[in-house]
Parts: sequence; structure tokens; C-alpha cells
Amino acid sequence: MDSSAWGMLMQGAWTTAWISATSIAIGVVLGLLVALVRLARIPVVHQVLGLYISIARATPLVTLVLFIFLTAPTMGIHLNRNVAGILALTLNTTAFNAEIWRSAFNNFSKEQREAAMAIGMTPWIYFRRIMLPQITITSLPGLVNEMSFLIKGSPAIAVIGIVDLTRVTNRISAVTYDPLPPILAAAVIYMGIISLLVWLQRIAERKANRLAV
Amino acid sequence: MHEPATSETTMVSVAETADTSVVAAAVSIRGVSKSFDGTEVLRDVSMEVAPGEVVSILGSSGSGKSTLLRCINWLETPDRGEIHIAGDRIGMSDTGKPMSRRELAGMRSRLGMVFQSFNLWPHLSVLRNVTEAPIHVQGCSKAEAGERAMALLEKVGMAHKCDAFPYTLSGGQKQRVAIARALAMQPKVMLFDEPTSALDPELVGEVLAVIKDLSKEGYTMVIVTHEMEFARAVSDQVVFLDKGIIIEKSPPEEFFVTPKTDRVRRFLELEAPTA
Repeated sequence: MDSSAWGMLMQGAWTTAWISATSIAIGVVLGLLVALVRLARIPVVHQVLGLYISIARATPLVTLVLFIFLTAPTMGIHLNRNVAGILALTLNTTAFNAEIWRSAFNNFSKEQREAAMAIGMTPWIYFRRIMLPQITITSLPGLVNEMSFLIKGSPAIAVIGIVDLTRVTNRISAVTYDPLPPILAAAVIYMGIISLLVWLQRIAERKANRLAV
Repeated sequence: MHEPATSETTMVSVAETADTSVVAAAVSIRGVSKSFDGTEVLRDVSMEVAPGEVVSILGSSGSGKSTLLRCINWLETPDRGEIHIAGDRIGMSDTGKPMSRRELAGMRSRLGMVFQSFNLWPHLSVLRNVTEAPIHVQGCSKAEAGERAMALLEKVGMAHKCDAFPYTLSGGQKQRVAIARALAMQPKVMLFDEPTSALDPELVGEVLAVIKDLSKEGYTMVIVTHEMEFARAVSDQVVFLDKGIIIEKSPPEEFFVTPKTDRVRRFLELEAPTA
């Protein structure tokens, strides 16, 4: 592999990284909001979100990416490839994250809630100061797991022409006729990105030990 | 109706004119009933706690004493009856509608509660457990809340652990921090829900000593407990609940020495054979 091949690889890695990071950032927050809204059990909204989660979790990423990219123009929306890719990844990961957050809410200590209510905290102060900091830490292993699934599943966005880290290896081997080196190099980069996440997770878990009362 | 009811009735009528009288009861419970799944846990309970008074609630398990305490700060919602804190009704607004969450939180901040299982917030240090509510509920500055917290931690003998996290503390230490946390809101009344029941026997003393100190400082307290010696030493009034009804209310020397009912006599023989 020459330097131009490395350059292409790095560009692919960057594409994968920023599109995944954007989807993760939106998906984690949106998943929290979906879980919160479901917690309120508002009729209709509750069922609609439940249906969304079931469908999004059951749909292959490739299908979702193609569906969004192909149907948006028929509804008069012109999506740039990157936006379509981010939208698909976000819709997918939000559904999984919402379930992770929801189980954290459901398992949260009733005693701590009572202590907060008894001392005069409003539900909002309780949520922000007592519950959220703790469920963020306890949910992190699940969330990081989902993040790594998303990154590893992100080559699906290549079907609409985004040149990500996997797609770029095809392009390089089309010139060099030697597919193995770029594929191995890409694999190492994927591992690097994911081990960064796992490292963050480990720090969080160390913090989580404190939460064992 | 039972014997103590007559004296309570007169107290209720005093409280009803509380708007015009000088001192309102710190806690006034009027005709409170509560059922869980069709089982009546409290039946038409009325009692008063005067400012500065220490009242112990005794009774065998399942008598409704914890439920009664939890009704006072509306952690349980009574089915019937009213509860007033220093003259203000809790749970219901003047118009008879349930209070908003914000109004309820405001009322609750005037009551400190100590739980059987401590219920400290594990993600916060000892100091921050105590300063959290003053800062984020009362809007105190960090410096002011910190100063107040350190003074209280000093009082309960936990100042040296201010930077520790709850998981490193013993049960007795956790409970002392929980007491400081409740005191930090400068409540009008302290509620203790079996504060020593989850403790190893050798740790009970340190917690009771702290509560005893508070009683000497004139705090108004309502204490649900199984510690007979302690109740006798610390209380101005002892209330005995049986199957959701107050069957005795008297000063400790009367309650423990010359109980009026057979039920209490039997209870004392079982719980405190030496008394």
C-alpha cells in the first residue's frame, strides 16, 4: 500500500468516525428522551413509540438506509447521502438505547427516590441531580456495547454511495489488485476506535463501584 | 372510642382555631384513614405534636406506625383525613385539590425524614449528600450550605468522613449522615422511621445518642421505634398503635409503668421485660 492508499484509508476512517459519532451523540440523547416519554405512559404516544422501537430493532441497517434514501425524495425531501446515512443509523441506535435507558429507570432505587421526595426535591431536581448521574453510569456498559455495534454496522451506509472505512478498501484494492492489506488495515482501525470506547467504559465502571451501596 | 380520644378531641378543637390562636401544633393529624388493597392500615387516627415535643410511636409490626409516619410527609396519601404542619395543610391545597408537585415539595422541605435503610445517595460524597438539598432546593450558596453541613456533620460525629462515599461507611455512620442530611434543610419537624432497625446491635447506640442529643436541643420529633428504653428516655409522649388505632397516648412514665390497656401491658412484657 502506498501513501495515497493510506490517505484514502484515513479519509474512509474519518467518514466512519464522524458519521458514527454524530449518530451516537444524537441517538444516546434521543433514546433517553424516548425512554422518558414512554415512562409517562401517554396514551397513543406510548404505543407509537413502542411500535417504532419494535420496527427499528427488527429492521436490518442496510434496509433502513436504502428505505430512507429512496423514499425521502418521493415525499419531496431531498436528502444528502450523509444526512440519510446519519438518519438511518440514528433511528436504529435510538431504539436500542431507549430500551437500555428504560431498563435503568425501572431498576432504579425506590428508596433514593423517597429520600429525595421527603427532603423536598421536585421530580425534576430529583431526576437531574440524583437519578440521571447514576443511571448514566450504570447504563454505560450497555450504551457502549450499542455504540460498538453501531460502528461495526456502519458499513451499511455504503449502499447509498458513502465511502466509509469498509467501502474505501474496495476502492484501494481496485487499483492495487491486492485486497488483503487494506482490509487488514481497516480492521485495525476499527479495533482502535472500539478499544477507545471500551477504555472509556472501564473508567465508568470504576466509578460505578461507588454506587454499590 | 378509646380513653385518650377525649383529650385529643379537645386538642383538635384548639388546632381548628389555630389561625387565630398563638401557637399551631407542629403536626396535627385529624381523622386519617388508609387502606392498602382493601386492608385498613390506619383507622380514623388523630393526634397532635406540639412544637418542641418528642413523640414516640410504638406498636407491633403491622400496626400501621410506619404508614402513619409516612402519611405525615405525604409519602403515603391518606384515603381520608387531614394533616397540618405548623398550621398548613399538606397534600391538599386550600381549594381541596391535590397540591402541585412543587407545592408538595415545599411542604415536605419543612419536614426532615430519616429512613430505616438510610437511603443516602451513593453517587455523592458525605458532604454533598448533606449540601445537595440546601443548594438545589433552597437555593443556598455552596459556601453557606457547606458551612452548615460541616457544622451538622460535626454534631453527628461524622465531619472526619466528609469526603468519603456512602459505600465506605458502616450502617451507623450512614444513618448519622442521613440525620445530618435531614437537619440541613432546617426542618420544623424530624420524622424517624425505625432509624435503628437495620443496624447491627453494636451500632444502635451511636445513632440513638445522636437522636437523644437532638431531643435535648428542642427539636420537634416523631419517632417510630422498637427501642423501648430509648423511647422511654427520650419521649414526652408515647403513642401506641394497634391495628391502625391509637389505643394509648401518655407520657412515658405513665405508659411504661402504669399502662391503661391490657394490650399495651402484653406488648411491654414481650418487648421490654425489664421495664
